[in-house]
Amino acid sequence: MHGAQGPGYRARRWRLGGALAAMALVAAACGGGSTTSSSTPANANQTVVFASAGLGTEGQATQAAANDFQKLHPNIHIQLLALSSNSTQFLQQIQQRFIAGSSTPDVIESDVTYPATFAKAGWIAPLDKYGTDLSTFFPGQVKAGQYQGKTYAIPWFINPEGLFYRTDLVPTPPTSPSQLVQMAQAATQSNPSLKEGLAFPADKYEGAITAFMVFEGGFGGQLNPSNLNTPQNQQALQYEHDTIYSSHIAPQAVTGWQEGEVQQAFTSGQTPFAIDYPFVFGAAAKPGSAVPVSKIGFTSFPSSTGTQQAALGGEMLALNAKSSHQAAAWQFIQYLESPQVEQQRAIATGDPPAEPASYNQALFAQAPYFQQVETLAKVVVPRPVTPNYPQISTNLQTMISSTVSNLTSPNSALSTAAGQVKPLA
Amino acid sequence: MTTTTTAPPARRFRLSWSPRGGSDRLRADRRLGYLLVAPAVVSLLAVTGYPLLYNLWNSFHHENLTDAAQAHTFSGVSNYSKLFSSSDFVSSLTRTVGFMVVSVAFETVVAVGLALVLHKAFKGRGLVRAAVLIPWAVPTVVSALLWKTMFDPRNGFVDYLLGVFHLPGAHTTWLAGEWTSWAAILVADAWKNVPFMAIILLAGLQLIPDDVYEAARIDGASAWQSFRRITLPLLKPALVVALVFRALQAFLIFDVIFIMTGGGPGTTTETLSYFNYHAFLVDTDFGFGGAISISLVVLSLVIAGICTRALRPST
Repeated sequence: MHGAQGPGYRARRWRLGGALAAMALVAAACGGGSTTSSSTPANANQTVVFASAGLGTEGQATQAAANDFQKLHPNIHIQLLALSSNSTQFLQQIQQRFIAGSSTPDVIESDVTYPATFAKAGWIAPLDKYGTDLSTFFPGQVKAGQYQGKTYAIPWFINPEGLFYRTDLVPTPPTSPSQLVQMAQAATQSNPSLKEGLAFPADKYEGAITAFMVFEGGFGGQLNPSNLNTPQNQQALQYEHDTIYSSHIAPQAVTGWQEGEVQQAFTSGQTPFAIDYPFVFGAAAKPGSAVPVSKIGFTSFPSSTGTQQAALGGEMLALNAKSSHQAAAWQFIQYLESPQVEQQRAIATGDPPAEPASYNQALFAQAPYFQQVETLAKVVVPRPVTPNYPQISTNLQTMISSTVSNLTSPNSALSTAAGQVKPLA
Repeated sequence: MTTTTTAPPARRFRLSWSPRGGSDRLRADRRLGYLLVAPAVVSLLAVTGYPLLYNLWNSFHHENLTDAAQAHTFSGVSNYSKLFSSSDFVSSLTRTVGFMVVSVAFETVVAVGLALVLHKAFKGRGLVRAAVLIPWAVPTVVSALLWKTMFDPRNGFVDYLLGVFHLPGAHTTWLAGEWTSWAAILVADAWKNVPFMAIILLAGLQLIPDDVYEAARIDGASAWQSFRRITLPLLKPALVVALVFRALQAFLIFDVIFIMTGGGPGTTTETLSYFNYHAFLVDTDFGFGGAISISLVVLSLVIAGICTRALRPST
């Protein structure tokens, strides 16, 4: 790498220094962000950029809503910024823009776990001044958008995770976790076409955490970072482990499954029970599904304590703190939140509306399964709402992964994770 | 990475033109030379020099993006002391070095064998040589996804193959165990990288003159002896290049693991690059991530140094 250090070396070194300084200047100029603090009034001509996960029918539905909004507000042009539909990649793409100090996108689709982190970093604006009536949403999801007493994101659509069951194989859903095991075993014994009794996502990824919360619901457990090592959580983690290694109702393959594989196992008629999100109904409605929607039941995990609980997934809407089009952007958010637009989206994409008011006969007539989704949406519990959630998530993923792979006993994995997440609470 | 032996441009210019070319002319030539290499130098500096310096700066500052209050404040060596006292760093370093040693050793042996085969004259050799390179041309993300599917316990090809031949290991959930996960990662990594090593080694083999082998044969050397005493020593320069490339790639392994195991089960397949990815993109701690990156650069240089020194041609 090193050339001979001749007489020209010093001069060369200076030139190199000059080049580096120039590069640093260019970089500083690029990274410095060009934010204008002046805000444009809503009635002025302007462009509002909306970043959302825009693939397939979801992207089409967003485009349709944007077009309709522009007809009502000809002065506001909505520009869609389609980001990845993979939530981890989406996060990285949006973070890059925030880090660069960009004033766009103005409106951001946000997973239910992001608002606290974004709010602490100062990336998204508090929404309290707009006076939204938060009681029009499901209470579990409203919490996900709050940080230090202020609201930074409001619900867009809700994805409660719960227990799917085949009504033709299991006429009435189980009433306790142990009854679920019995029913799953009985079903697999009498039906040779079934490959397993229960499918759930247990790959090392974010979805394993919400699946664990579904199990927690069966034992009255809570995912509280400051008090994780509770008897209820021990029971839930032990139960999740035992479905693979003791009662054998779940295959070891679930350790590599995400929600998509679980949905395939369920809609291909391979399992009578599955823990998953409402999109399973949409998949079952497509031609080629071995299990029709009419044979699918969706409920909260059977609880020994009697309380019902579902794990919250879903999307929120937030405003870029540096946006100079906040007034117009807020009008667009309000439009997306209106019950009629939410209903159109629900029918087109299967995304369950975030407001109870949207669950009415007009929706049920189109897709009756939303009645079951609504029941679960009422009892959703969010993952820990804290800016440190990304780190907490890492520790929880490791805890679940080492338990379901039988590397660590559930109790020791739980106590290790409890020690790690407590300082992050 | 080896030093180039071409003469500095100035001297060559002086030789090709009149010896009394005058210093003005020389300076003009030199300026032209700098101008011509400038695009390459600037782009190199932009994509390697600048990030390196930026990381170095970050590593001595508080740069956690979600902690705006402390942003850009000088933190001394706290990021480094946090790193060196972290048990996660030590365990991921151990895993990474272990993987590097095992995978490079394994891949070298297979690649030498493959190169020897490709060196032999046989019908359709050109086709085989081209075909061997296909795995290397496949993007790692794609090959890792393919291998993840291959190791699927339900629908995977590996499971099917082992079952057909009644071999042990059928119905194994490969990616659920620590050592089975590493085995799967090793296979996926080797599948992609052995061809690359083999082609470098093949180039080395082609440089060895045939008469050396003929002389050895006349002296009564066995095939093993001529491989041991002729092929290996003369292959050393190519072997060094292949080893340095592969050792560094293996040391910085990320994509195969990210796709196949996500560092799991538990944290048993988390390597240094994975640890680094986490610091940057999950924790958004650019100060700590910078410290990891700088340590990775230093460790990479050490590894490159060890590889070249250990296999330096004996003079």
